[in-house]
Amino acid sequence: MGQNKTSDKVILEIDNLAVSYGHVNALKDVSLTVNEGEIVVLIGANGAGKTSIMETVLGVNQVDSGTIKFQGKDITNKPADKIVRSGMFLVPEGRGVFSSMSVTDNLLLGAHHNLKGSKEKMDYVFSSFPILGERKDQVAGTLSGGERQMLAIARALMSSPKMILVDEPSIGLAPKIVNDIFEILVQLNSEGYSILLSEQNVYKALKCAHRGYVMETGKILLSGTSEELLNNSEIRKAYLGA
Amino acid sequence: MSLPLYYYLAIASIYILMTWALYLPYRVAHLHFMVVANMAISGYFGGYAATQWGWPFGAALLAGMLIGALLSWLVSFGIGDAPTFAVVIVGFTFIYITKTAIENWDLIGGTMGMFGIPMVKNLLLYAYLFVLVTGIFIYRFDHSRLGRAASAKFVDKDLATSFGVNTKHLGMFLQTWAGAIGGACGVFYAFFMNSLFPDFFTFHIIGTTMTMLFLGGYTTMWGPLLAAPILWGLPLILPTSIASWRQIIYGVILIVILLLRPEGAVTRQFIRKIQVKLKLVKLA
Amino acid sequence: MEIFIAQVINGLSLGSIYVLLVTGFNLLLLVAMIIHFSFPVVVVFSMYMAWIVLGLTGNNIFLGVAAGISSAILFNIITAPMFQHIMKKRGEVDINSTMVLSMGLGMIITDFLSHSINSGFPIAFPDNLTGRAAGPFIQFGLISMSRGAFLALTVGIVFVTGLFWLLYKTKQGRAFRAIAEDPNGAKLVGLPILKTGLQSYALTGFLGGSTAILMAILLGSASPGLGDQLGHKVLAVSIIAGLGNLKGGLIVGLSLGILEALVQGYWTGTWSNAIAFVIMLIAILVKPKGIFGMKL
Repeated sequence: MGQNKTSDKVILEIDNLAVSYGHVNALKDVSLTVNEGEIVVLIGANGAGKTSIMETVLGVNQVDSGTIKFQGKDITNKPADKIVRSGMFLVPEGRGVFSSMSVTDNLLLGAHHNLKGSKEKMDYVFSSFPILGERKDQVAGTLSGGERQMLAIARALMSSPKMILVDEPSIGLAPKIVNDIFEILVQLNSEGYSILLSEQNVYKALKCAHRGYVMETGKILLSGTSEELLNNSEIRKAYLGA
Repeated sequence: MSLPLYYYLAIASIYILMTWALYLPYRVAHLHFMVVANMAISGYFGGYAATQWGWPFGAALLAGMLIGALLSWLVSFGIGDAPTFAVVIVGFTFIYITKTAIENWDLIGGTMGMFGIPMVKNLLLYAYLFVLVTGIFIYRFDHSRLGRAASAKFVDKDLATSFGVNTKHLGMFLQTWAGAIGGACGVFYAFFMNSLFPDFFTFHIIGTTMTMLFLGGYTTMWGPLLAAPILWGLPLILPTSIASWRQIIYGVILIVILLLRPEGAVTRQFIRKIQVKLKLVKLA
Repeated sequence: MEIFIAQVINGLSLGSIYVLLVTGFNLLLLVAMIIHFSFPVVVVFSMYMAWIVLGLTGNNIFLGVAAGISSAILFNIITAPMFQHIMKKRGEVDINSTMVLSMGLGMIITDFLSHSINSGFPIAFPDNLTGRAAGPFIQFGLISMSRGAFLALTVGIVFVTGLFWLLYKTKQGRAFRAIAEDPNGAKLVGLPILKTGLQSYALTGFLGGSTAILMAILLGSASPGLGDQLGHKVLAVSIIAGLGNLKGGLIVGLSLGILEALVQGYWTGTWSNAIAFVIMLIAILVKPKGIFGMKL
């Protein structure tokens, strides 16, 4: 599987997290960890709470109880811009690129908090994603779905993050492009980025991740290494159709 | 009846009707300030018809309503389904043009105003009968399929379409109805005051009626009915030195209510509670 | 022909005032997500503050200008929390409420001006500010340009250019445009929404305060009702151009200035002002969503 060596050092630690929207409980008693250099995948159907975890970690949702620690520091209920500044970046579901703005502008938005060295970062991003370099003056609205996903990932890299959250990257993309995206994620991981990924494409996600958590209705049902999960009979039945 | 009380009740009836005229199109999130222009145009028409052609009050009222409805109906072809701000600006522009026209038209008195509109016996009674009838119609509308569709459109346009209601026609209907009420208000006002001045039909009526609508609550017809007499009466019982700050007082009330209780004093839940207390409906 | 050229030049000066007002209004709409109907009322309020300070300091132009600009910035920043309280969600209903809130603020300012300052009579700005006594600044035959008109036009061009530079070439401007396109997405990439919103209040305050000074120079006087009238024109221009469309606002704002100047050049009397309104009314009734399309 060509995975990166991981360390035992925890980069993200979520402890007994609970979040509600009004009267609806979105997350109940969620605990998970991501070690430095790991790809960890969240598996679950629509509405299982994957996006809620991502957005809560990023500081968009109000936490009812529980704690979130990033690089050893408590970031529970800190505003999103502070958390992004501290080295975490989200690649949102549905890409979240600004379609009326140019590719360059979208990339620079990723570097909003630290424009120093953005020229070099941009060169690095364009060397990794040559297609974006070709289209750097086009508005993002003219890009294809796969190109937008690359732009969203490249934008995350512009912020020089320690950790990247990637929410449902494969949604709405052709299988061939999905493979490309997963390859990119593995490549990034080997360069040292820790990644928390959420996916419905369970087989492919587990193939590239180190560990995984299975979610249902806001709770974590199961966790384990990718191999354990791939061999788990319930998961095979529920998600892999075998 | 004492004269101050008579005038209080007279103008209170006008403000109730005017606030309802704002309330109806606001059911589909339209702030239809054009009703103030309707009030001026129909008021002047009614006054002119009574003084120059000797029309009786009833004929003037009917004509005023028809003119108000007709104008609003014609305009609603443009803004029946327009965004709120477009409706607002059309209203303002109509008021401005109407006022300029009145001020420059010597036939109807220009800036001097129009005088000698005849007194009508039992006018106050007619006014409140009109309030009652209008209220019944609004109540019927609010509890109809159209009324529910309007509430849906206020929140979400697509949802309203799923009720099978043509939202443009609904907006046009409400604007036209509001125009008719505005026209009636103008004729009542002309016969109450027996004179008309262009200065009355300006932005301060908008501020006043808007405050009445938002303080009372724009989700039920009862809010305006309650807030209009109170807000109109408030400056009358205050000492003159304070009462002359009326518009500022209204402005502060408007801002405070928007910040603290955005749906206004009388909300749907509030009405429901009262109905439950009075055992009009069973607890759901 | 000379009258025509002269009026077009006058119209451009007046139009650049409209453009500045519309641009401030549109920026608040795009970045702070409010319909600040009374933004021009705040501008007129700043004219009054400048007038008061001019009177108190024996027509010290520097202090007067400073008072005008700072009062608009202060007013915008002080009222910002009220708007932000209402504008938590970005829905049509909430944006309507911000317009009503703005109208409430406008009611208070206008009534305050007509009650408490100069007994409600129009105020006149001193000659050393307006430069009226000095005669025309530029003159070719019938075509002449007052200092005020010249200033309004040049400052208008400089400010609008500066603003577009800021929007398209700076980090802050990029954040403004991102929030204007998708506030939620902007939050997810870690843009500080409230702080950026507050910056837009301060920026438009600066823009409004500067416009107040230009108006004092160009018009030479102000009255309490001026703000309502301008508020009304600015919203109309913005709608005709397409709400939130900055470039459209530029074109329609200048056109309205030229239109008004031409009407006044060829047709005197109280009706001339109404003509512009009739044309605006027709434009809105025919195209309630604007000529150049909404950018919301």
